[in-house]
Amino acid sequence: MAEEFEPKIIAFLCKWCSSAGSDLAGVSRMKYPPNVVPITVMCSGSVSPLYIFNAFQKGADGVLVSGCHPGDCHYIQGNFYARRRIALVKELIEYIGLEPQRFKMSWVSAAEGKKYTQIIQEFVQELKPLGPQKKLRREK
Amino acid sequence: MVNLEEIKKEAKKILEEGKVKYIIGYAKSSNALMAAPTFVKKPEDIDKLIWDPTCFQNLVKFLIDEKRKKAREKEPDTRPIGIFVKGCDSRAINVLLQEKFITREDVYIMGLSCEDVGVLDKKKIFKKLKGEKPEKIEFDQRKNIVISTKEKTIKIPLKEILAERCLECTSSFPVISDVFWGDRNNRSPKEPFKCLEQIESLSQEEKWDFWQQQLSKCIRCYACRSVCPMCYCDECVVDSINLAITADTTAEEKAQKIKWIEKSPESSENFGYHLVRAMHLAGRCIDCSECERVCPVDIPIRFLNKKLEKVTKELFDYKAGLDPEQPSLVSSFKDEDPEDFIR
Amino acid sequence: MEKILTKKSFPAWIKKLQSYTVYSPEKQENLWSYEVIQNPDKLNLEHLNTVLAPKKIIYPQREIFLQFNTSKEGKPQIKEVLPEEHPAVIFGVRPCDAKAITLTDKVFGEEPKDPYYWSRRNQTILVGLTCNPPPSPNCFCLSVGGSPHSKEGLDILMTDMGDKYHIDSLTKKGEKLIKAAENLFKPASSKDKKELEKIQRESEKKIKREVKDIKNIPDKLKDMFESPFWDEEAMSCIRCGICTYLCPTCFCFDITDELTSTLPLKGKRVRTWDTCQFPDFTMHSSGHNPRPDKASRLRQRMLHKFQYHVENYQDYLCTGCGRCISLCPMGIDIIEILNKVIDHE
Repeated sequence: MAEEFEPKIIAFLCKWCSSAGSDLAGVSRMKYPPNVVPITVMCSGSVSPLYIFNAFQKGADGVLVSGCHPGDCHYIQGNFYARRRIALVKELIEYIGLEPQRFKMSWVSAAEGKKYTQIIQEFVQELKPLGPQKKLRREK
Repeated sequence: MVNLEEIKKEAKKILEEGKVKYIIGYAKSSNALMAAPTFVKKPEDIDKLIWDPTCFQNLVKFLIDEKRKKAREKEPDTRPIGIFVKGCDSRAINVLLQEKFITREDVYIMGLSCEDVGVLDKKKIFKKLKGEKPEKIEFDQRKNIVISTKEKTIKIPLKEILAERCLECTSSFPVISDVFWGDRNNRSPKEPFKCLEQIESLSQEEKWDFWQQQLSKCIRCYACRSVCPMCYCDECVVDSINLAITADTTAEEKAQKIKWIEKSPESSENFGYHLVRAMHLAGRCIDCSECERVCPVDIPIRFLNKKLEKVTKELFDYKAGLDPEQPSLVSSFKDEDPEDFIR
Repeated sequence: MEKILTKKSFPAWIKKLQSYTVYSPEKQENLWSYEVIQNPDKLNLEHLNTVLAPKKIIYPQREIFLQFNTSKEGKPQIKEVLPEEHPAVIFGVRPCDAKAITLTDKVFGEEPKDPYYWSRRNQTILVGLTCNPPPSPNCFCLSVGGSPHSKEGLDILMTDMGDKYHIDSLTKKGEKLIKAAENLFKPASSKDKKELEKIQRESEKKIKREVKDIKNIPDKLKDMFESPFWDEEAMSCIRCGICTYLCPTCFCFDITDELTSTLPLKGKRVRTWDTCQFPDFTMHSSGHNPRPDKASRLRQRMLHKFQYHVENYQDYLCTGCGRCISLCPMGIDIIEILNKVIDHE
């Protein structure tokens, strides 16, 4: 029997909220799919669109950018800048014909370990029927 | 009506007074259908200046060279540069001012209204001429173009061969200038983003097929970047020189530096380049369409930039290049920015 | 061996060449490009200059040299990648583009010979077409030692004679191609030969642009290295790669390692076109750049084509195709520059 497709997700998590949220999920022993590779960044506002495109080029099936809720940014405004920029990336990705479901943004606070696991669970469920992302992927 | 003689008079005056270092304008090139940029330094050279719908180039690009050159000189000539600008070009100046790349004193802006015309689209003419070589062209009242080839002379209404961006232009006159010629009639095309409809209406897979086919053609000559007045980064992400090198930098460090986008003109790399460029021009592209005009392999690059222009307008009510004082798109935000896409 | 082929039976000839990949110019929306022929019946040899020369088939923009990998024990494993067997025929080759291939032949033919280039070169048959009329208003082949009916570098030269083609087979490779469908060809009569001469004379007259006194250019350039002339001429250059990438003779390249994984180290070594017009072309790893500005890069392009190459190979590195003139976004014109060089004091 063919093995079920397991998508690979690259998650850019801000150090102060979302990364702490994912840690909370871990230390609380909450169960969630192991499909995600977390990359801690200082702020969601520091995620360059280049990181996102490059993750897809290197073979990510889905990319998540997660930061603090509006108003909670450690750097006061970083996540507001991210919100604008990511909105543009999202539109552009859809426009060139990549499945829009492959790219997500979320607000996850340090206390929301549960929400983080839910987001990953949902993301994996959405990515599975899409199959591997080959469009932007570099040839091996 | 823009009168070339008046422009020349002003050009002569400012050169004689020593008010400007030189003037960047247009002159005839060896190609009848395209003007070439020219740099007029002496009053006696003003007669080579021309102004007609073959003046495609966005000369603002040359202000970037000028700034770099000045930075290397010990005692630079700080007089402003006189520069011919069309409506779209003037918006580019506004973005450079907004980003504090240049200051207002660096330029003496000679604004030229496109009036009810604009610039030609070489590809549309190519189609009309069916490949025949134009020997001579003339403009008849800025309404028609009269092209003589060896075989015949044809008269084409300008409207039929104007560049798409000119047909969709909303301000065909300079929004910032020191001297100005022509009228300030606003044009209001009913659907400024109509050109995008065709792509937007495609299914997701069709969209991918379209862009995949287009971007696979890219030969990475970087003419789109080179011609763009907004592409002034000291180091572009596709150039492999983005590493600060000191005497202590080891060979290993040099070898390990991040290469975001490889040199190979492969589909994935080409997407990487064009997507990054489109993002970097979001809220900055002033739709002069020079990137698309110069592309030797005919990639519709404008459709990428135009899409982000539309998104920017719809989501953030932002339009590039209208006001040098407004904060730039991605270094500002509003509390009410949309976030319904965020989980 | 001179033959005649009617235009009607031209597709039949191509259909006989199944053992080859057959390329010919194809009209895309606004431009011409050498593509693999899908439908021989729709073949059209009335092409203007293609954007890219047939160089792109023999010397592709990207070439994989080798693949490297690290074994479980940490040992490096290297696998050389040579081009696949690829017998090809290119129809509609302009004499200037064929001449250009003879120029790159000399460069890649220096010891050690370039196996990647030669593997494709040896397997490619070039079928030329006399330019009548010239495919670009900026053609100037006559000035640089070529002609619209030059045979240099070609295996076959075809000449359009109305409802038929005059076929001049020039090499063994060419003979082989004709043998594939011998019954389609008729021998050329003396009347045909006369007509051919007339067409060739006419085709030369149709080349309108010329470089004056080109023989003196190499010497003239020797004294112009330090001239402010280049600053003036390069003012409107925007340093894109159009003039060089589209040039049928430009051959400069870069070699890079493209990693697909760092641990274990894995990837490939590739050769890609590069151009003297890009700032990082001459960038040293110290950060110093001996050609720091666009004036020095334009000068390099001109000097390489009309001085250094003449010194090294006794020929101009330019075949007068006119692509760099037609497609320069800023209207920089190599003929005008050369003519100014001659007048330069």
